[in-house]
Amino acid sequence: MKGNSRLQRFASFGMMVVLALTLAACGEAHPNTTFDPHSDYGRSIDFLWNRLLLLGTIVFVFVEFGLIYIMIRYRKREGDQRPPQTHGNVVIEIIWTLIPAFILLFIAVPTVRTVFKTQAKAVAGALQIEVTGHQWWWEFRYPEYGIITANEIYLPTGRTVNFKMTSMDVIHSFWIPELSGKRDVITNRTNYIWFTPDSTLKPAEWNGFCTEYCGTSHAKMRFRVFTVKPDQFASWVANQQRAAEFGAVAPAKAPAPGAPPAGGPKPATNPAALPPAPSTGAATAAKAVNATVPSTPAYSFPINQPEFEYAKPHTPVPAGMTFTRGLTGNAHRGQQVFSSSACVGCHAIAGNPMAVGNVGPNLTHFGSRATIGAGSYPNTPAYLALWIKNARVMKPGIIMPTLGKDQYDPVLKTKVAAGGLDDQQIADIVAYLSALK
Amino acid sequence: MTSTAVPTTAPSHAEPAYVGQKGVWSWLTTVDHKRIGTLYLYTALTFFLIGGLEAEMLRIQLQGPNRHFVSAELYNQLFTMHGTTMIFLAIMPLSAAFFNFLIPLQIGARDVAFPRLNAFSYWVYLFGGIFITLPILFQVAPNGGWFGYVPLTTRQFSAGINIDFWVIGLQILGISSLAAAFNFITTIINLRAPGMTLMRMPMFTWMAFVVQFLLVLAFPVITIALVFLLFDRFFGTNFYEINAGADPLLWQHLFWIFGHPEVYILILPAFGLVSEVLPTYSGKPLFGYPVMVYSGILIGVLGFGVWAHHMFAVGMGPIADSVFALSTMLIGIPTGVKIFNWMATMAQGSIRYTTSMKFGIALVALFTIGGISGVMHSSPPADLQQTDTYFIVAHFHYVLFGGSIMGIFAGIYHYFPKITGRLLNEKLGSWHFWINFVGMNLTFFPMHFSGMLGMPRRIYTYDAGQGWDTFNLMSSIGAYMLAVATLIFIYNFFTSRKRGEIAGPNPWHAGTLEWSIPSPPPEYNFAVLPTVTSRYPLWEGNETDMESARLNSQEGKSAEEMGIILPYNTIKPLIVALGLIIMFCGLITTRVLIFVGAATLVVSLYTWLLSPLEPEHH
Repeated sequence: MKGNSRLQRFASFGMMVVLALTLAACGEAHPNTTFDPHSDYGRSIDFLWNRLLLLGTIVFVFVEFGLIYIMIRYRKREGDQRPPQTHGNVVIEIIWTLIPAFILLFIAVPTVRTVFKTQAKAVAGALQIEVTGHQWWWEFRYPEYGIITANEIYLPTGRTVNFKMTSMDVIHSFWIPELSGKRDVITNRTNYIWFTPDSTLKPAEWNGFCTEYCGTSHAKMRFRVFTVKPDQFASWVANQQRAAEFGAVAPAKAPAPGAPPAGGPKPATNPAALPPAPSTGAATAAKAVNATVPSTPAYSFPINQPEFEYAKPHTPVPAGMTFTRGLTGNAHRGQQVFSSSACVGCHAIAGNPMAVGNVGPNLTHFGSRATIGAGSYPNTPAYLALWIKNARVMKPGIIMPTLGKDQYDPVLKTKVAAGGLDDQQIADIVAYLSALK
Repeated sequence: MTSTAVPTTAPSHAEPAYVGQKGVWSWLTTVDHKRIGTLYLYTALTFFLIGGLEAEMLRIQLQGPNRHFVSAELYNQLFTMHGTTMIFLAIMPLSAAFFNFLIPLQIGARDVAFPRLNAFSYWVYLFGGIFITLPILFQVAPNGGWFGYVPLTTRQFSAGINIDFWVIGLQILGISSLAAAFNFITTIINLRAPGMTLMRMPMFTWMAFVVQFLLVLAFPVITIALVFLLFDRFFGTNFYEINAGADPLLWQHLFWIFGHPEVYILILPAFGLVSEVLPTYSGKPLFGYPVMVYSGILIGVLGFGVWAHHMFAVGMGPIADSVFALSTMLIGIPTGVKIFNWMATMAQGSIRYTTSMKFGIALVALFTIGGISGVMHSSPPADLQQTDTYFIVAHFHYVLFGGSIMGIFAGIYHYFPKITGRLLNEKLGSWHFWINFVGMNLTFFPMHFSGMLGMPRRIYTYDAGQGWDTFNLMSSIGAYMLAVATLIFIYNFFTSRKRGEIAGPNPWHAGTLEWSIPSPPPEYNFAVLPTVTSRYPLWEGNETDMESARLNSQEGKSAEEMGIILPYNTIKPLIVALGLIIMFCGLITTRVLIFVGAATLVVSLYTWLLSPLEPEHH
């Protein structure tokens, strides 16, 4: 490389860029890191990872520095004689066959131990959650409580949760990086994964992902996990168990401007401001929720805290989507429109006898959910209105049809004509769904 | 090198008459292993550029969060085709280019065992490659990933023509690989020059030998998996139909029983090339030759017993997980031995830093990183945090780019003079190497972090605020550097092809047989078939070696003048390959084509088999 100063200048410039970027990367927050586990399973993995990293680093340093030493020490020099024509050395070769074997022992033993520990049967009394993968959303059932929900899970801290998984269509994979490893969700098979969220964990929100390629919108098959205190969980359960009611709720405003910016219109009420339900303790939670109808509004996780900004979708709405300004939705009208349109063919809402479809997500307590489109957009009236109008533009490939009148359906490649919903009807549906707390 | 006794008189022009005929027709009808190797080289490099272009588009999309450079549909086609192209159309055929060109030269043979079958392999590869690549221009390319997991790839979930191209295309390419593998096995077993015992074969030929067995044993498995899928998609069978109760893991097991040996099919030829390059520029024989042979064989054998480590997340149970974890860890041992032996080859040497040597050392350095991360996910619990994230993308690019591609570039800079008679420009080569090396690390090292920080693979977009933005930006900048490096290489390749320095028979003072003959080699390769008495005939051979080397390095006469009988040129292999493609095209167009194709295939194969290979001996 002697005298190649251009190459040197280029290299030093490059090093500076890399350094700057590395510093920038370290400054970023890492909300989905696997290095900071919050469950027993996560820590078992982390223990193995730390050992692998340590041994890997030792091997790396040894090999790379050895290589660099050899490269410098044995570079060709002026007047070099023919180097010694060695063909090998049996003793040395046996030694460096044994060294990696020895190192691997320190990996193999704890590996096998952890494999058997983490794949044992879950403890009795674990919270059972049935996971069903769909293209491209998650169905979650709590059989113990008779709850069906979608794309978000509430977990009480300190209690083991056992996920039982299968898929309705193609293979998916269930992953909450901060809580545990992943497990594939496979058609015609049942898989399990269990872990215990740390009891010391304060209420928090986590991102979950589908990690097996499952078709067009694989990237948008996300979910949210809320680890909450047992009493908060009990309150949440109690509310979820009730059929959807909205009678007392005032008509939600569905202002819905053209393209909702981040922090756009908020839902009419914010449960975060209300005090949590009374504590009943973890062990008695199940019984308590069955027995009592809470007089205070049910707990739901306060999603708008800046701390959990990472769990709030930031994807902008596709260009060109518009919605009439200033419309006010009426939840009662919305219920009628919903119940007499295509919606009920795919969506179920407990308490609405018309809505019994099971192709799409169960919407019983839709108004209490954080996101729409499996983590694609925030669940606010503005986004929801556009979603109902033309979901296929907002999430490529999905089954949910384009419903807005005169909207272009990117799958059928035609405009929706007869039977399409106008903006007022959509605003009414938004008001209805948002009221289903 | 005091030992180099071979005269290195430069030929007066790069393409002497002895090389053979000219013109397009001569290329279409050639059965000469060197010309077929050259065809493989050019075709595979073209597909390498296409696969690279696809990768650049992926990186433009992922440069930042929520970008829409391409649609979700196109992104999924691009990543599927990037993987499929790089594996089946770039790296494997680049290795095949070296197999073709080098194996007969390294073992002292006039050609491969079945020259016409060799041509057939190439044409099937070319047509199959075009078949599977063209649809991307119309945005109907395969979109099920290179691994094509069912049930996503069944008709129920992929109704379009996209997956049809993939199923049929891979089936076609498999025919090419299998035909070539049988050809090379026969060649290596039967056509070695006198004295060229197995344990005197150059390491590249040895690794090629192992790879051919992997091909022969692994490809039938993917063939069966694909036949099932093809029958499901076209004829309504139920191998993978979930509504008929199929278990989707059947495909995964079949695919990875092929897929893991495939990894070694991709890497062992590069190991072979580097095992030629490192000794040459260190001026020392390969350290621990027998151990290098055995470890190569062991990697190949163990490679068939580790497939389910791709499936630690599917829930096989603790026993299967543990068994495959241990077998996977075991494979680290022979691989580690290879790394150490390469280092020992360089130690005590007199190392010349040619571009080829830089690429060769880069393989040792970078493959080590891929090997270490490989051990990291041999541990199933740890793998459950890593699998299907960018950590895995980082890992296998260190293996396949840091390993295979670096080794292949080492091979190209090393053997370009043998193939063309001219040297590649070393200064441009140095730029190519350094930009490539830095770009490669800048692209793939940050992926370790984005993966462990929770970024799944195969996502066409990601949201802001997930902690992945900067690492993705780094990866994209690295990918653009790789594009620059590749452009420098292409420029170097074509200018050196025309105006490069004349190489002579042995520009690098290498020790193996292929360097004893002129560059480019005459169509008959060896004027006199050499008698071999050592592993490096040009370094440590006795007088017999030296005498045949002296005779072989002289040039000028054509085969006819020498009275050497060579096979006839023939167009028939091309026609047979064409018939095969037409037949498969019938599946996705009109069924009549199936019969047209089959008729073409049978008739041309019949005339091929009835026509003599070469003139009768007198």
